Amino acid sequence: MKRRLFSILSIAVVLAMLLAACGQKATPAPTEPPKAEATKAEPTKAPESSPAKLRVWIQWGDNPQQVQELFDKYTAISGVKVEVTAPLEDDKILPALTGSEPPDILVLSGGDLVKSYAKESLVDELSAAIQTGNLDMNDFYPAPMAQCQQGGKLYCLPWGTDLYALFWNKDLFEAAGLDPEKPPQTMEELVEYADKLTVIEDGKLKQIGFIPDLSWSHSDLYVRMFGGFWYSDDGAKLTVNSQAMLDSLTWQQQFYEKYGYEDVLEFSSGFGEYNSPDHPFMAGQVAMYVDGEWIAGPNYISSLKPELNYGVAPFPPPAAHPERAGTIVNQGTVVVIPSGAKDKMASAKLLAWMMSPDIVAEEFCRNANLPTSKKAAENPCFNINPKFKIFVDLMASKNAYAVITTPLSLELNDALGQAEEEVLHTGADAKEKLDAIQKEFEPKFQESMK
Amino acid sequence: MDELSSMLKSARQGKRQQVKWSRRTRENFVLGMIFLLPWTIGFFAFTLYPMAASLVYSFAEYHPKAPLEFVGLQNYTALFNDELFWKSLSNTVYMVIIGVPVTLLMSFFCAVLLNLKVRGQSIYRVIYFLPSIVPTVASTILWLWILNPRTGLMNTMLGAFGIDGPNWLGSPDWSKPSLILLGIWGMGGTIMVYLSGLQDVPISLMEAAELDGASWLQRLRHITIPMVSPITVFNLITGVIGMFQYFAQAYVFRGGNSLGAPLNSTLFYSIYLFQNGFLFLKMGYASAMAWVLFVIILVCTVLLLKASERFTYYAG
Repeated sequence: MKRRLFSILSIAVVLAMLLAACGQKATPAPTEPPKAEATKAEPTKAPESSPAKLRVWIQWGDNPQQVQELFDKYTAISGVKVEVTAPLEDDKILPALTGSEPPDILVLSGGDLVKSYAKESLVDELSAAIQTGNLDMNDFYPAPMAQCQQGGKLYCLPWGTDLYALFWNKDLFEAAGLDPEKPPQTMEELVEYADKLTVIEDGKLKQIGFIPDLSWSHSDLYVRMFGGFWYSDDGAKLTVNSQAMLDSLTWQQQFYEKYGYEDVLEFSSGFGEYNSPDHPFMAGQVAMYVDGEWIAGPNYISSLKPELNYGVAPFPPPAAHPERAGTIVNQGTVVVIPSGAKDKMASAKLLAWMMSPDIVAEEFCRNANLPTSKKAAENPCFNINPKFKIFVDLMASKNAYAVITTPLSLELNDALGQAEEEVLHTGADAKEKLDAIQKEFEPKFQESMK
Repeated sequence: MDELSSMLKSARQGKRQQVKWSRRTRENFVLGMIFLLPWTIGFFAFTLYPMAASLVYSFAEYHPKAPLEFVGLQNYTALFNDELFWKSLSNTVYMVIIGVPVTLLMSFFCAVLLNLKVRGQSIYRVIYFLPSIVPTVASTILWLWILNPRTGLMNTMLGAFGIDGPNWLGSPDWSKPSLILLGIWGMGGTIMVYLSGLQDVPISLMEAAELDGASWLQRLRHITIPMVSPITVFNLITGVIGMFQYFAQAYVFRGGNSLGAPLNSTLFYSIYLFQNGFLFLKMGYASAMAWVLFVIILVCTVLLLKASERFTYYAG
């Protein structure tokens, strides 16, 4: 009898603990910090309403120590301790957002997932936070903001941003008989230049003029140059098989087709690491390519290969559409407040501090990324280096866009990346691939927009 | 304690008899249970509950902050129409059908060699075992360098023999063999299990066969291989299960946004599952995938166990 009692008891204990574990999730999140922390905070100068500690998670954190130091400045002025966790594995983010202990501020490396999170109410609509923090919304460049807007509501704020331009190697231009100070003015001219800059010796590629997808895909930029995107501008329609998409893929495909799919792949398979002087552009294997502003900053070419004689220019438009000059597609870091964050007031204040022009300037100057605040962009540190200034000036371009995001972004991007790889690297038919994706994703898209 | 063990023994033998527990036995039992409790709680909370939850999710659309939306078998039927699901399954089956036997053969071969009584035997053993204690991520990154088609060690060595090495990781035909190669390099654990099995082969049998004039090869074929067959079955089944769940190496090879590249040739089942669950936020779909994988592994294991009965020799 006692034996049974014991086993019943032990099962009961286990069940009770299980229930307790599950119950924690079910109960509404307390609005006050745990007691232990609150008492610990008392001796410090923190005002009574402030939480003891705020947690900031940063998905893309190259240098956690530096970011921690930045947030220590917030502690210095507010008395609120900020703990930075960076970088994050992708699989940590969703459990954190759904669990009972999400970070107080989450910095995502792109806007791809924001709309999925918003759809599932994992992140807050920010109007209240903007009011609390008294943020000047006119100080934000409008383009990057598009990553955060959905149906008139704002779910994130862009912190730093990136955009892409054309880099060219002046020495290789000279060797090919081109004017080293004059980059191609149209996409057609770029193709001509690429041909002149491609060197084949003994049937093997020695140097290539242009690789459209070097390091990663730049279709977002090309497709904008061709006057479209894979969504309609309001993000309400899927336009994967539009003419602009087709033009973009076939324009890119020609470089592989002309120089030989296998040959280009074999040539590029031997390219050195991105973050090294063996990078194909720095090593002189590729004469022109598309990359972001950080390359013109102090940490890449300037420190890895200072002797490289290169230029930067906005990517050229197609000859038939000179009005598309200066087209850029912003993408970059965005900040969200998890809906489960305990002290929304504290999160909002921290968010406002992060968005203040001085802090934006400091953070992105150091990392050589572009600020999303117009006032921050005036900071001399962004404007001393003439190559970097080209990017800063492009931020104000009238043809500035951001990558359009929807709740389906990541899944669709994956499929588009796949199709692009097949078209560019194996010579698959672009129209066929795009039609197939349009057909497959149309119902999914309708479903996701509900 | 003796009382308890004798009781358990009689229970095993099917003798149902009412034994009255002494105070001491009871205390021991309670104590034992208390010692078991941490594991039990862990098992219930971190294994059984999530498993049960994922079964429920697999019939629903999962919304983190909203109630589950039950959709019946829709997640399962959608799987069958999902091209990438089949692609990921076929990639995984490739690894199981080719990767597991190759690794098994190689490790058996290495174990036989390492079992030879030669000078420096223990050094060789250490050399072969070392890779398996290198963390997966580190060893995978190491292999990324080795397999770099232009500058890597592998193609440089092949080049010395006049062989134009392939574009290992960049080519869809070679990406999976590259991963298998990486697996063979880290098979120290399997070798170790084989080695222990080889040392259990009775010397008396070997000596008797030798006296009868059996050659080394004949002894290997008729004594060693049958004697280690239970080890082979063990290695085979754990290998198959491990390969079906293949994830870490492929994840490191092609991190971030290019999971599965080139051309989805390294999109393995677990990778696609991870993508669906944590990147596309389709937890219900991912759960359905997990349960399909569970059934596949279960069926394979049962079939292998059944099939192995005929080839396995259990001494004693």
